[in-house]
Amino acid sequence: MGNPEPFALFDCGLARLALGQSCSNLRELLAAVRSAPDAVLEHHMMRCVLEDHFEMHEFPNDLARWCWDSLGDRVLAEQLGLVDPYHHASIASLRANLVDVIEERLWGLDRVPWCRPGLELHLVQSRLVAYDSGERFSAPVEMAEAIPRLSLRSLFYHVHESRRRRKAPSDDFSSWLEEYEADAALVAALRAIDFYFLNLHQLRSEFIEVFRRCMPESPLVERVTP
Amino acid sequence: MTLLERYEEVVGHQEVQRLRQLAMPLAGRRVIHVNSTRTGGGVAEILGWMIPLMKELGLEARWEVISGPPDFSRVTKSFHNAMQGLPVSLKHSDFELHREVNRETARRLDLQADVVFVHDPQPIYIPEFTPKGRVGRWVWRCHIDASRPDRTVWKHLEGAIPHYDATIFSMAAFTRPLSRPMFLIPPSIDPLSDKNCPMTENERLETLTRLGIDPDRPLLVQVSRFDRFKDPLGVIAAYRLLKPYYPPLQLALAGGPAEDDPEGAKVLREVVEHAGDEKDIKVLMLPPDAHRTINALQRSAIIVLQKSIKEGFGLTVTEALWKGKPVIGGACGGITLQVYDYHTGFLVHSPAGAAYRVRYLLRYTDKRQRMGRTGHEFAREHFLLIRHLRDYVKMLLCLENPGTDVMVA
Repeated sequence: MGNPEPFALFDCGLARLALGQSCSNLRELLAAVRSAPDAVLEHHMMRCVLEDHFEMHEFPNDLARWCWDSLGDRVLAEQLGLVDPYHHASIASLRANLVDVIEERLWGLDRVPWCRPGLELHLVQSRLVAYDSGERFSAPVEMAEAIPRLSLRSLFYHVHESRRRRKAPSDDFSSWLEEYEADAALVAALRAIDFYFLNLHQLRSEFIEVFRRCMPESPLVERVTP
Repeated sequence: MTLLERYEEVVGHQEVQRLRQLAMPLAGRRVIHVNSTRTGGGVAEILGWMIPLMKELGLEARWEVISGPPDFSRVTKSFHNAMQGLPVSLKHSDFELHREVNRETARRLDLQADVVFVHDPQPIYIPEFTPKGRVGRWVWRCHIDASRPDRTVWKHLEGAIPHYDATIFSMAAFTRPLSRPMFLIPPSIDPLSDKNCPMTENERLETLTRLGIDPDRPLLVQVSRFDRFKDPLGVIAAYRLLKPYYPPLQLALAGGPAEDDPEGAKVLREVVEHAGDEKDIKVLMLPPDAHRTINALQRSAIIVLQKSIKEGFGLTVTEALWKGKPVIGGACGGITLQVYDYHTGFLVHSPAGAAYRVRYLLRYTDKRQRMGRTGHEFAREHFLLIRHLRDYVKMLLCLENPGTDVMVA
């Protein structure tokens, strides 16, 4: 068993900022994806998960949703829904991928898809405000017990934002457990969760299920209910 | 019990505790809000709760008001209409009066603060006339949809923006390109106010009886001003399409007087005429303080309608969601941020669409109830005043920590 510092639980929130720009057709979306600041792509492709708590949306990012809901371009929506920003090492690489997908689609169309007034995509960027909640976990069992009552914002910070901070494909929970030398199967199972395609409620349920499966002997884990 | 403790009962201890933690670095900051009135209107209502809550979070918050001659109100009312795209007729002297009242107010008020929030167009020029160094940062809070303003009025107001450090808008669709950062902070409802607080069954039933509504039959409700953009005639048309399928169905159209809108009385007359002598349609003109009546109506509805064809944020939708009602809303403005098909209600584009979705929800009780529960949770998470306050705190932290992300120590 390793002896790392206790796990420090953080919470966070977004301060959202408008650009005062919007897209009303596919050509404008392509131009925006080409030229918008990195923070705009980051918001619409990754941080938008903080705004979907009820499985309201068909796709995990704003661009795919807008193409589906407002442009009515279902083919492109499906393609954009499959772009996983966390598989890109940088925003530049993500941008190149998005430009390629949208340009390819635009290339093959006779008419440029457009949306009704009122359904435009308004470009937004965000700044993450993170803070220490003061809560600490000294052992895996304490972490397991805390997962069901974590705020969804904390989950986002330690799973999604962790990849960005660490520049590595790992969440804070599994990294700490690895350092603690907890069960390797638990660490692997947490890392195997396909987090980008889940909303935060679903993600929390998956975390609970993994802890339940991998730590069945712990009386504390038995109290964890999804 | 402190104010924040009262809200713990609604949003939970952890949410309030986290808000306190987030605000800790701001303790002692001097914050002033400036608007145009202490009573009446949405802004005064917001500041009424925000000032005491900011104080509980450790900020030194104050509220100041701009005032001018009667003509000043006429001019700024025109600004308000012009911001929303209505044609207005203003003279050069009107713009001068606006600047002059701002100059005088800047001289009169003691604006020594770390941050001053200036609400809406009335006091927008105060920063220009305040001696440098008295205020750390200026923030303009625009509560109005400024996306398609009258050009002349916008040019006049835009001239004040360079004196600000940041601006705040309710939603991205209300913005236009500006030279200063535009933070997005949606409005909110107060779950403990008369309009939204829990209500006894007795009071609810008494209210319905007083209004001549049968509490034992299903009721559709739309609460909004009598304004063409709220499409009250479309609501009646939808109701008439439904009535043959659901004979017991009742409809209540409840609204207050539209003071800024000279067409309000005309629209009300048309609605009354259109409703005719149909006893199951109630057209209710309520006084501005009829909050508990509105509360009772919304709680009594089986489904709430907000069939607008143009809308601001649509807080009546938020109120209905908070009360666990599915909402059928026009696909416009802030309604699209609150109504999600099959989750919290349905977005519609015509009276036929509204009638069709009401039929669906009347048919499937379980789905209607599930949507109501989802809507209640959605409102709790996104549109209560604790979230609103948290957004202000985050924005203040961002202003103090320029750059990208903020790690609060």
